[in-house]
Amino acid sequence: MTVRTLFIGMDGATFTVLDDLVAEREGGPVMPFLARIFADGARCRLRSTPNPLTPPAWVSLMTGRTPGHHGVFDFIRAEERGEDVYFTLYDSRDCRVETIWSIAGRQGRRVAALNFPFTAPPPKDLNGFMVPGFVPWRHLRRNSAPPDLYDRLKAIPDFNPKELAWDFEQEKQALEELSSEDRENWVRYHLPREQQWFRIADHLAREEAPELMAVMFDGVDKLQHQAWLYIDPNQQHGELSEYHQRMRSLCLQYFRQLDSFIERLVAAAGPQAQVFLASDHGFTGTTEVVRINAWLHERGYLRWRDVPDTEEGRRREDSMFAFLDWKNTIAYCRTPSSNGINIRVARRPGETGIAPEEYEAVRERLVRDLEALKDPVTGERIITEVHRREDVFPGDAMHDAPDLLLVLRDFGFVSIKNKLPVVEPRAQVAGTHHPDGVFLAYGPGISRGAKVARRKIADVAATLLYSVGLDVPADFEGVVPKAMFTTEHLHEHPVVEGAPTTGASTGSQTAGMAPEEKEQIMAQLQMLGYME
Amino acid sequence: MDRFTEHSTLTTVCAIVDDLIQDWGLELEEPVGAATLLVADLDFASVDIIQLCVALEQTYERKLGFQDLLMRDGSYVSDLSLAQVASHVEARLQQPRQDPS
Repeated sequence: MTVRTLFIGMDGATFTVLDDLVAEREGGPVMPFLARIFADGARCRLRSTPNPLTPPAWVSLMTGRTPGHHGVFDFIRAEERGEDVYFTLYDSRDCRVETIWSIAGRQGRRVAALNFPFTAPPPKDLNGFMVPGFVPWRHLRRNSAPPDLYDRLKAIPDFNPKELAWDFEQEKQALEELSSEDRENWVRYHLPREQQWFRIADHLAREEAPELMAVMFDGVDKLQHQAWLYIDPNQQHGELSEYHQRMRSLCLQYFRQLDSFIERLVAAAGPQAQVFLASDHGFTGTTEVVRINAWLHERGYLRWRDVPDTEEGRRREDSMFAFLDWKNTIAYCRTPSSNGINIRVARRPGETGIAPEEYEAVRERLVRDLEALKDPVTGERIITEVHRREDVFPGDAMHDAPDLLLVLRDFGFVSIKNKLPVVEPRAQVAGTHHPDGVFLAYGPGISRGAKVARRKIADVAATLLYSVGLDVPADFEGVVPKAMFTTEHLHEHPVVEGAPTTGASTGSQTAGMAPEEKEQIMAQLQMLGYME
Repeated sequence: MDRFTEHSTLTTVCAIVDDLIQDWGLELEEPVGAATLLVADLDFASVDIIQLCVALEQTYERKLGFQDLLMRDGSYVSDLSLAQVASHVEARLQQPRQDPS
């Protein structure tokens, strides 16, 4: 068996950075192998999901479906229950549609999927290998497939699950005061971590040669959130401090290492393999904080709950979750990463919120109010786009989406804190997600040097199935970007629309989270820049 | 409740917990059993409790409503014994299933 298709995910990768890293400079490009892929392969920008966020975007990439159909909108899923809201984590069981790992597997293609979010718990009928992302090390064994995989991984020299997996505790500590030293350590933390994922991918590619081999490196996103100032080529002019230069050097070390991993994985996959690289979203700089719940309070849509003057009350006030007076709140933002507003509708007797017949009028008033939030100096809209959910999340899962999706003028994530002013400049630029990520193809049958028009993230799933020799399911929303392939290849391997997917389990109620776990997860999100 | 069935559920819960903690490096004075406490004895953090819930739901191929076990009178419980977990699972298994998984 040989690897037919190698997919390398780079969370948050953007051409803004990659074009700089492949450019000729003294001593050669930072990423010389990626430079070769740029020259000899095909490239295009890749439009992310309407909210360009890791959970919906990676799940779209893995399913060929948009969030309104696959149903994963955020890291955290909230359920309103009476007078409070309970928060749970999304997991693979929340995905309502079939992934390419299952589609390929049930048609006889062996797969390996490493470090992709929302792949835990793994499917029972997996044909191949899976080690999930976003899972603490203590639970990697149970969430890896097949059941003996974890013990096999332990035989890989220098395998260290604590380095490999998400370390909630470290990240929780790191956020408390993100000093210069903390930030530097944060970057250093990801060097050995990516090496762990590389070793597993390299081992499986060489020893097992699954036909569809996929690994995701998420350090790109992590570094860019915390160290955008040192990575963005547009920020590298003028007099740079010694710390700035050291941080930049460290970040470039990360990308240099990543380049070597890509080169070695391509070599391990063999010359017959088609290689694809993609990100779930791009990156850019955010320069201001927008406190959306504070604004909703000002406009009378939301009321904060009085916090008792006790230790517990102060702890509650400091927690990452909005502490709201539900009886007097009709619209609020649940999580910063959602960039959305939920309207509370009383659908059953005894429930609080607006009457169902008021919904349209309230929503339209809210849209107009949001559009009127402007920069007092320039008159520019702070929220450049306000999307109604039926416009951006059509599908069976639409009702789990926020009622409104907001796009801020600097693409930042909103803050949900009870703090003023509503809009405040940041002390220094921070990294945030941009809707345009990257999509690259390289190898036999790929159109050399092609610059293809922007594609949609769901197209990646269709492309990977096509590359591994399978039909594209009829119910896929993604399509194969034919311009990435040579005419000869398309002639010999025509794109074929096949049977629709078989669906996925829809049972999706995970158990409630204890408060400390909520804090851990929110701490993680804060580290990543989703929180103020 | 059928004591034989409850014993069987407890055996399953203990087996899953044993499997879950095998790499954690815990030095247990006694084998995992009915009286074992998740937090005090096994150093469970909340994320570990969630993973245990997922593992049990997968084993029994249904949702088991763990929020009712984890929350009492609006507050989260501070610890649970494996007997309490097994008892909750057993009670839920007696109820008609409410989800397709």
